[in-house]
Amino acid sequence: MILNENRIKIALTKGRVEKQVVPLLEEAGINCDQIRNKKRRLIFDSTTQPYEFILAKGPDVTTFLERGAADIGIVGSDILTEHQSTQYELLDLDIGKCQFVLASTEAFDPDEPRRKIIGTKYPNITKRYFDKLGQDVEIIKIEGSVELAPLTGLADAIVDITETGTTIRENNLKIYDYLDKVSTRLVVNRMSLKQHPSEIYNFVDNLSAAIQMNNDREIAQ
Amino acid sequence: MKNNLLPLGTRDEFGSRASIKQNIVAVIQRHFEARGFSRISTPLLEKEQVFEPYQLGNYQMYRFLDQDGDTLVLRPDLTLPIARFLSSTNIPLPQKFFYIGDIFRISRRLSGSYNESTQAGIELIGYKSIKAELECLMIINQLSDELLDSSVEIELGYADFARGILRLLTDDTQLQEEILQALYDKKIPTYESLISKFSNNELFEFLKRWPRLFGKPDVIFEQLTKFDLPVMIQVKIDALKEIIEWISQTMPEQKVSLDLSSRAPQKYYTGLTFRGFSKDGAGYLFSGGRYDKLLANFQDQTESAIGMGIDIDVIADLALQKKTKKTKTMIYFNNSQWNEAERVLAKIPHSVLSLADTKKQAQLEAEQADAKFLDLTGGNENDIE
Repeated sequence: MILNENRIKIALTKGRVEKQVVPLLEEAGINCDQIRNKKRRLIFDSTTQPYEFILAKGPDVTTFLERGAADIGIVGSDILTEHQSTQYELLDLDIGKCQFVLASTEAFDPDEPRRKIIGTKYPNITKRYFDKLGQDVEIIKIEGSVELAPLTGLADAIVDITETGTTIRENNLKIYDYLDKVSTRLVVNRMSLKQHPSEIYNFVDNLSAAIQMNNDREIAQ
Repeated sequence: MKNNLLPLGTRDEFGSRASIKQNIVAVIQRHFEARGFSRISTPLLEKEQVFEPYQLGNYQMYRFLDQDGDTLVLRPDLTLPIARFLSSTNIPLPQKFFYIGDIFRISRRLSGSYNESTQAGIELIGYKSIKAELECLMIINQLSDELLDSSVEIELGYADFARGILRLLTDDTQLQEEILQALYDKKIPTYESLISKFSNNELFEFLKRWPRLFGKPDVIFEQLTKFDLPVMIQVKIDALKEIIEWISQTMPEQKVSLDLSSRAPQKYYTGLTFRGFSKDGAGYLFSGGRYDKLLANFQDQTESAIGMGIDIDVIADLALQKKTKKTKTMIYFNNSQWNEAERVLAKIPHSVLSLADTKKQAQLEAEQADAKFLDLTGGNENDIE
């Protein structure tokens, strides 16, 4: 895979992250009109800025970065940890904040002496958590609506991320433990940072200043 | 199941990539032979224990069992087999070796990475002098000229630089390790939270700047003057300054940078480290340094050693990117015209003999190969059946 010499390619996680990041990027002085009026397009080049944006799903952002097909990625720390990203993590954007939790029905007993079955979208994070506890568990990979697993008897409990806990409560589930906190991060391909240090740090520093301004404003309110 | 499918992470090489790669290998081999290095080839299969000191990162090894139940692996690295070879033979030292071969590292499934790659490299064993490091830098410079239009930037570092500073900072070895990992992986939010404990320490301003201490040497040295660094650290900085001065004297056109915040290529490195990269490549092209304790895994006595690996696949990708399309010529001829056809073949660059029996077939072949068509028959086809 060959990197483009002149432009910085930024892979942005589409959906919620994209919606939260675009105002920050604009505050950092980056024109995002093309992304705001994207229709069905996924790639946005600009004649006035040294950046090219691509929109991708979170796990694919890590793949683009690992392969050098993107220089910068903006993606949740949940995905970075789960996909064992080896690239540089330069900035916490302080948005998309949520937390991993262990949750299940009222009847679940975390101390029951038997091999538990855990449903999750994040098998690596789940395994690491139970390894730390010294427990061997059976993990079932679930792609969505993880809350269904303990309700239907598919699993004893789930490991999932939650922002406010509302979905968990609405499905009559209870939180048994809090794991790692999650937020959106800016990640840079290792080789790209060596090849384009000033362009990348310029982008990072502008974004960092915008985040700081945003946080100061929130505190003042 | 279909029987013509490749295992995941492998590929066939043919056409321009195969020939470009072969050409790179030939240039590197000639270069090392001209420098009087001895060729060494070790088996693809080794006992697993040989690679105990090797850090695989996110990779895994291909493992097999032999008849005795011992675990064998397809080599993920070419340096440790040479250390194994030296410890089990009485080869007189010092020696300069070179190698070219394939290594195998299983990468994350379906990530688009290949598990087999080709590496060349050198091992200078039994040399204590800095001259060994300098010969490696000279080789990078010369191969950069021969293969990569002088586009390689050399990046220098010191294997134990970071650990040395952290030992001065705290006795807590676990905390040292956590800071080191966050620094090496540039996990800046984690790093900043870890160093915040030392806000009253005289090194704090240095710690804050540390992850960005890479790039042009004069800029880095200028930044370092702002910090009051301990003598043992200053000694290493002075050593780097001397090497950079030597490079600017000996190879004035060579681009150089420093990185005081990166991980050594392997944990067995003990001294100066150097890497080479180009603006366009997706990975390091050259990577090496001093590892004086390399043989310690196999024997009590340690030996001075310097080694350097060259990633032939990344160089081949770069060469392919730069390759301009050459027009091929397809030569059609009769069996009575072999000698004439051979003469034309030798004369016209990028020409190839068509082995078709009819002009129509030959024209089709030329069309498929996007080649010019050259007909030597003058309309008299197939004179010998």
